[in-house]
Amino acid sequence: MVVLLILYEWPKMGQHQKKEKTAFVTITAMGWLLAILLLFFPDLQGPTQMIEQLFKPLGKMLEKN
Amino acid sequence: MIEKGKISSFQMALIMYPTIEATALLTVPGITGTYAERDMWISPILGSINGFFTVFILYQLHKLYPKETIIQYSEHIVGRVLGKILGFIYLFFLLHIGSIILREYSTFVSVSFLQTTPPSVIIGGMVLVCAFAVRGGIEVLGRTANLFVPILFLLPIIAAILLLKDFDPKHMLPIMEHGMMPSVMGAAAPQAWFGETFLITMILPFLSDRDKGMKWSLILVVTIMVNFVITNLLAVFLFGGTASGYTFPLFTAIRYITISTFFEHLESVTIAIWITGIFIKISMFYYALVIGTSQWLKLSDYRPIVFPFGFLLTVLGCQWVAPNFEELNHFLVTIYPFYGSLLMTLIPALFLLIAVIRKKKRKKNFVKNM
Repeated sequence: MVVLLILYEWPKMGQHQKKEKTAFVTITAMGWLLAILLLFFPDLQGPTQMIEQLFKPLGKMLEKN
Repeated sequence: MIEKGKISSFQMALIMYPTIEATALLTVPGITGTYAERDMWISPILGSINGFFTVFILYQLHKLYPKETIIQYSEHIVGRVLGKILGFIYLFFLLHIGSIILREYSTFVSVSFLQTTPPSVIIGGMVLVCAFAVRGGIEVLGRTANLFVPILFLLPIIAAILLLKDFDPKHMLPIMEHGMMPSVMGAAAPQAWFGETFLITMILPFLSDRDKGMKWSLILVVTIMVNFVITNLLAVFLFGGTASGYTFPLFTAIRYITISTFFEHLESVTIAIWITGIFIKISMFYYALVIGTSQWLKLSDYRPIVFPFGFLLTVLGCQWVAPNFEELNHFLVTIYPFYGSLLMTLIPALFLLIAVIRKKKRKKNFVKNM
């Protein structure tokens, strides 16, 4: 997948677009790393749980008893 | 400017309509129903107040900074460092909500149709299509909306007409049995969805007729409210207070349609129409994410980062965002109303306050120096 992505997009970027290239590589790497991590640890705590921890006190107001 | 396309404000309203309505049709009647039961048609009216408020704030901000989106003017308003941090929070929020929408979509499709297809295929296919739309820019989004939305718009109305003979308006009574409180509680979820009008901040700078932006945004909020009310009334008329027992009440309702054993299984048509709506919704969040990121990093072109983000969204949507749908639904019911309205309404309101105060101060100084 990642290889395909790079093959498709890389030739389209001009030589001078250094910033774009960096952003492209970083985001692709993030996705790739995340995919591999999730392959090995499927129960990793996600962003939803993080936000849930943050907003728990407020969320209790809407909890149906 | 990164985006070169221009759309009219009518097209903006057309894009925003499914952006709010698509997932709202799915889950919101069920969520509202848990609190408000048979008063649940009042909740969207209360919730729309937030919609008007958000539109007003973002339009005022747009007037102060006419060529910029929230990612850019947050830097001007609260300073460079804080602005960058807030921008990052917004981007994370868009990524998170985008993957939640993908998850809702894949769950719904796999529950109702493709039971054995792995979610990664369902999500991956959708993301690929959206990625091409986003690469095309705002004009492509505007035109797809032009094509699809009129059909989507009629969906609740057609459902209501076809279900007419099964209706029992008595289910609605007594109105406000337990006072106003249950419908206020029920409004928590719809108000968060109305807050999604926040995304107009990403479109407003690209309008060709700016002065009409406010008018069409307000018309948009009113239409969405009317549609919500119709949907919720439909659920109440059919199921009474038990509508909350279904996760997807409207689609359960549409399954009931039988007219002289000729019109049956309309849910397949409905879902086909609905998918065009969710396509625009996902594309809009995706577009906002990509445009926001390229503005945050000050890139000269947003196209190169479209596909990497698609990959990231697919990975997030497949697994990471929530372990199962139960937990996701719990999140949407209890946390999202606060999470969403904090980011989409309260922080922009704060921005507006700061910007207005600053402007007044500057004027005062100017007068003094004269």
